[in-house]
Amino acid sequence: MTLAHQKPSETAQTEVPEGHVRLTIDGQEVIAPKGELVIRTAERMGIVIPRFCDHPLLDPAGACRQCLVEVSMGGRPMPKPQASCTITVADGMEVKTQLTSPVADKAQKGVMELLLINHPLDCPICDKGGECPLQNQAMAHGRTDSRFVDRKRTFPKPLKISTQILLDRERCVLCQRCTRFSQQIAGDPFIDLLERGAQQQIGTSETAELEKSASHTPDGTPFQSYFSGNTIQICPVGALTSAQYRFRSRPFDLVSSPSVCEHCSSGCAERTDFRRGRIMRKLAGDDPDVNEEWICDKGRFAFRYTTARDRIRKPLVRGEDGELHEASWPEAMRLAAEALLKARDGKGIGVLTGGRLTLEDAYAYQKFARVAARTNDIDFRARAHSAEELQFLAAQVAGTTPEHVSFASLEKAPIVLCVAFEPEDEAPIVFLRLRKAARKMGTRVAFVGQWTTSSVRKTSGELLACEPGGEAAALDGIAEHAKDIVEALSAEGAVILVGERAATMPGLFAAVQRLAERTGARVAWIPRRAGERGALDAGAVPTLLPGGAPVTDAGARAALEKLWRLPEGSLPAEPGRDTAGILAAAAAGELDALVVGGVDPDDLPDPRAAREALDKVGFVLSLEMRPSAVTERADVVLPIAPTAEKAGTFRNWEGRDRPFEVTLQNTGAVPDCRVLDTLAVEMDVDLFTQTPKAARADFVRAANSVTRPAATPVEAAPEAEQAKAETNGHVKLSTWRQLIDNGSLQVEEPHLAGTARPAVLRLNEATAQRHGIVPGEPATIRTERGELSFPAEIADLPDDVVWVPSRSPVGVYEALGVGHGGLVQLSAGTAAGAESAEGPAGETGGAA
Amino acid sequence: MGMLDPIKGFGVTFSTMFKKVVTEEYPEVFYPTAPRYHGRHQLNRHPDGLEKCVGCELCAWACPADAIFVEGADNTEEERYSPGERYGKNYQINYLRCIGCGLCIEACPTRSLTMLNFYELADDDRQKLIYTKEDLLAPLLPGMEAPPHPMRLGDDEQDYYVRGPELARQAGQDRQSSEVSAQ
Amino acid sequence: MADTASKTDPLTPVLTKRWLSPKSWRLATYEQLEGYTAIRKALRMTPEEIVELVKEAGLRGRGGAGFPAGVKWSFMPQNEDKPHYLVINADEGEPGTCKDVPLMMADPHSLIEGCIIASYAMRAHRCFIYVRGEALHCIRRLNSAIREAYAAGYLGKNILDSGFDLDITVHAGAGAYICGEETALLDSLEGRRGQPRLKPPFPAAAGLYAKPTTVNNVETIATVPYIINGGADWFRSMGTEKSPGPKIYSISGHVERPGQYEAPLGTTLRQLLEMAGGMKDGIPLKFWTPGGSSTPLLTAAHLDVPLDFEGAAEAGSMLGTTAVMVFNETVSVPWAVMKWTKFYEHESCGKCTPCREGTYWLAQILERLVEGRGTEEDIETMLDVCDNILGRSFCALGDGAVSPIQSGIKYFRDEFVALCEANKRELVGASA
Repeated sequence: MTLAHQKPSETAQTEVPEGHVRLTIDGQEVIAPKGELVIRTAERMGIVIPRFCDHPLLDPAGACRQCLVEVSMGGRPMPKPQASCTITVADGMEVKTQLTSPVADKAQKGVMELLLINHPLDCPICDKGGECPLQNQAMAHGRTDSRFVDRKRTFPKPLKISTQILLDRERCVLCQRCTRFSQQIAGDPFIDLLERGAQQQIGTSETAELEKSASHTPDGTPFQSYFSGNTIQICPVGALTSAQYRFRSRPFDLVSSPSVCEHCSSGCAERTDFRRGRIMRKLAGDDPDVNEEWICDKGRFAFRYTTARDRIRKPLVRGEDGELHEASWPEAMRLAAEALLKARDGKGIGVLTGGRLTLEDAYAYQKFARVAARTNDIDFRARAHSAEELQFLAAQVAGTTPEHVSFASLEKAPIVLCVAFEPEDEAPIVFLRLRKAARKMGTRVAFVGQWTTSSVRKTSGELLACEPGGEAAALDGIAEHAKDIVEALSAEGAVILVGERAATMPGLFAAVQRLAERTGARVAWIPRRAGERGALDAGAVPTLLPGGAPVTDAGARAALEKLWRLPEGSLPAEPGRDTAGILAAAAAGELDALVVGGVDPDDLPDPRAAREALDKVGFVLSLEMRPSAVTERADVVLPIAPTAEKAGTFRNWEGRDRPFEVTLQNTGAVPDCRVLDTLAVEMDVDLFTQTPKAARADFVRAANSVTRPAATPVEAAPEAEQAKAETNGHVKLSTWRQLIDNGSLQVEEPHLAGTARPAVLRLNEATAQRHGIVPGEPATIRTERGELSFPAEIADLPDDVVWVPSRSPVGVYEALGVGHGGLVQLSAGTAAGAESAEGPAGETGGAA
Repeated sequence: MGMLDPIKGFGVTFSTMFKKVVTEEYPEVFYPTAPRYHGRHQLNRHPDGLEKCVGCELCAWACPADAIFVEGADNTEEERYSPGERYGKNYQINYLRCIGCGLCIEACPTRSLTMLNFYELADDDRQKLIYTKEDLLAPLLPGMEAPPHPMRLGDDEQDYYVRGPELARQAGQDRQSSEVSAQ
Repeated sequence: MADTASKTDPLTPVLTKRWLSPKSWRLATYEQLEGYTAIRKALRMTPEEIVELVKEAGLRGRGGAGFPAGVKWSFMPQNEDKPHYLVINADEGEPGTCKDVPLMMADPHSLIEGCIIASYAMRAHRCFIYVRGEALHCIRRLNSAIREAYAAGYLGKNILDSGFDLDITVHAGAGAYICGEETALLDSLEGRRGQPRLKPPFPAAAGLYAKPTTVNNVETIATVPYIINGGADWFRSMGTEKSPGPKIYSISGHVERPGQYEAPLGTTLRQLLEMAGGMKDGIPLKFWTPGGSSTPLLTAAHLDVPLDFEGAAEAGSMLGTTAVMVFNETVSVPWAVMKWTKFYEHESCGKCTPCREGTYWLAQILERLVEGRGTEEDIETMLDVCDNILGRSFCALGDGAVSPIQSGIKYFRDEFVALCEANKRELVGASA
């Protein structure tokens, strides 16, 4: 304290930078930026003020009053202790925390005692026990004995507010972090405070438990948010717990390791906690550049596929009896190598990889294809794709870095235009950033789509509605229809985001590029899966080498041949076939073998043809974790490691590398790159991808040895099946995948599955009336191939357009044979009784 | 060495033959230990047979030898092992590691874990010395019912903890009276 | 309304002067009794002149805090790039207070006239009157008065050809004491949960719908037309230097004639009791509150405390809403304090820990004490808990909640101890 009085004269000379103020905290002088909260300034100085409701990413609330400090302004003490989480720094402010002020200390201890009077002694059975801020705070500063001898406030518990989230209202300290998160960050205000005083509680509109309470509504909604798991993580007590982690372990049982999410192309930082070789939970990591401190529920809860009962742990070989039998690695390798060598020297091998690959694995696959299989027939796009897309990826996406477009640049952008991209379902963290940008920075968000989805609503977005498949025309016409958007796009920092669905719409990529060139807006491509961007840069495509050079570039090929120590001219020079081409060739007998890693035929535009191709081709090698449609048809199945059991790198949509180390050591599982390396050795070829580290080093050398050509314009694909003229009473189908559906990495997660959005068929009122469809009642869409039924819901789609989720649970491609933009017949009723139901349903529709 | 020295030696032998022996005749004779001897553990039950263990892992936390492994799980209405929300699904004590310090029983918040005087903890198979929940659970006394079953002593766990001693006494009396009537 | 019943000197019927006229709530009556004369004058003044006049008059807020109204108005931005709002706080919920509802019942047009002048002074074109939901009769009367005013051209577009537009909306609250706190009132008015907001930003910067807003008490606004007509000097001729003007004192409890008595600020309880006919049945005074239960209670020793903002503060209490609740010797202080505390427990909004948990705890201790199951330790615990609430809560509700306890123990500790004594004897007896 005496020091503090001497110091000012000394430090008064140090300049206070523009926009900063000078204050003292506990006698220490500090310079802080204007507007900073005192609690943060103190934290920067290493003075920790206890808090419960304060969270750096949420708006201040000042509810818990735990962070009270004594403040004087210009020597005049403020009459009451102030909440340091709500008061901002000011010049000449003097702050005394609990360390130097008896008043602040007493205030904090008093609040602590008050927080505990109604807190149950649940610590032994509470999931938060051992890592609980309230527990820690009570141990550090609380009284040893309670003075409270009266009745505690009790509630029945726990209360299920969704299938995943359980609420214990007795433990709640009403800090409002969860409700503020849901309102401010996620935009899903499904939980809020109910009642008042000591009876105040968190609840949803359907917490039916309190039947007599005024807040109860019988037709309420559960806590149905894609981000609900974050509320568990930020809850400072054990009031919110997950059904998945409930009672599974204690913090001291857990080994925590940093990891990266494998579910989408955002590449979120995560923390994986495991106990005795099993993952117990995942938490959001703190990475301000990418996911800040949030992750989506899929990233948090979908990990039990790694311990699924049917996980393949030993190589499988199809025996004489036509069944798969366990085999040793050497035997499986020998069989696979023999068959592949024969196929290579015969009609050739095709390599199909899915979206789950790490950069290293993708690199190994492409090297395997080009060096061991001597072909460019490799494609990572296990989904609808087009040649136009490939051109676009080569020209606009491959090799870009976060300097081009990043999460941060979304916040700074004056406008973000989302084309064929539904951020909340396809890249939830991008959605959170867009919402933050719209909320805090006033960024305009516009969507080219069919209806006002929750992404549009929650980013205060503008919808440029068009027919499914009409997106390209809509973009071309944007200058006429929405001049202001074109103007905004022309401003510095404007961004266009394109989703992977764009590949299903001929001409859309070309239109995007035209718009970008016209306005100067920057374009980013946001695929749905974690591995796609890495696979593109690694060269797991038929036309590009690692580093983005075209395969037709002789110089690049020569450089790689030299690097890879191959004979001159040994790399195939002709561009290869894409996924559809490879499958068609396999079906037509033009390929002798397929190497397939992580492909789900149901994601492809023609799942039946894909399965047929797998049936017909002479030899199928599958690298898989769990049985799938591919392993069913494979001759040899080689088990590979899930993300948690290997090291690697996901390159996220920004082009940012997200490296991660092995979480679960010594499980015996090997990554794809190592399997391929060994297989190649068996085929007498060296890939030098034994470990992810080696593969990565090789990739970096390869990428550096070639040069990426300048961007070339994208040619619009010839407009396929322009069926606009004759719809014949059909309606157009709009569809994309919801975040939580029947994806193969979401198995064995019943609690997560329960939080999926209900699968409904959306259409506008007029269309519904015309077809006699009643909201809430089932409606059916049908093609010659099959039919699908969902309950109908009214939304603002264009006339004669319906939207259904792509795989919730049945695959639209599989059932109907058409995808986004396809034509389907629409009728009321369920699939089975559709014909008979049409009449009466029509009447009720008319009456309504 | 004197002449009589060998005889002196026998003298000691002979005299000892008439003294009280200090060796214990274990295992033929089984001596009781001191009442608070730290022997084998036991997982106790409520008077109706439900388990007292809530799977909180505090014993495992307290154990200086890392001899205890616990995993909790959720009680459901259909399948209830203990009053309240949580029960110990998996409970193991490794007696190769246990040092008998008793910190675990001090840590136990529900008095589920206590120590018996039983000390015969030797075996020729290491695997057998990892005692599981089945080995450690207290036997079912008369009036107790093997879980899972619904709570018999009240509607919620408060009835077990707040009114526990009284209920235990009551259950004991019931037991006695039933025994008397049986005789 | 008993103000005319005793025509003693200190009475200054200003706001209450029309209350006993027949059909005082009708526009015709109001206009006969110089109603709507002030707006004609005010609308010829500039907004700045009105604010200056109100400042000069020294009108202080009648809602409890006593913040100078003119100064509050001057915080409103001078430009009109955003809509401005005037919100009238008629959520009269303080125990013992019943001045706003009678005022709106008997003389709603004076409030409307005040609203027009204040809105004009603050460049607001929309005024909300947030009335406590239970006062349904009052809401009806206000609405019909507003209809009359619209019909007569005092509200709506181009009021009295001045070019000034104003719409008034009456909003019924849902019965929460906390909604008398101005920011909680604004949240409630917006359709949200009534809980106080963080300040800053203050309502004058971002209030209702994040637009510049002033929240004033009914009595404050109803006083404005008289200041316009009578001038600052006339207004200052009543009351004291720092607390000028007349004030409606709501006298309730053990007095012969409880009711509303309008007297200059600074009137003492002794004078008020005289007006109210003295203590009921002659039973002596024991304790009283100067301004509702949130103000620390006072005793017979404080009979001559001048009841203005400064005088009440000097006596260790607050003027509050001048809801004078008078209790005679028959009332147990711990019992009264327990009742008040249960009120605060019931009305705590739950936002902040000290108030939510503290009132819950205090109410239980007091209940126990009154039932004779308390100990002297409980008294100390209560005082400590009060200390942990006072000044630690988010808004003033917490401060108000501890006032009766702290002052009750301060002046009547013996009564609390006596309740414990019985318990102690019982405990000793039990152990023996």
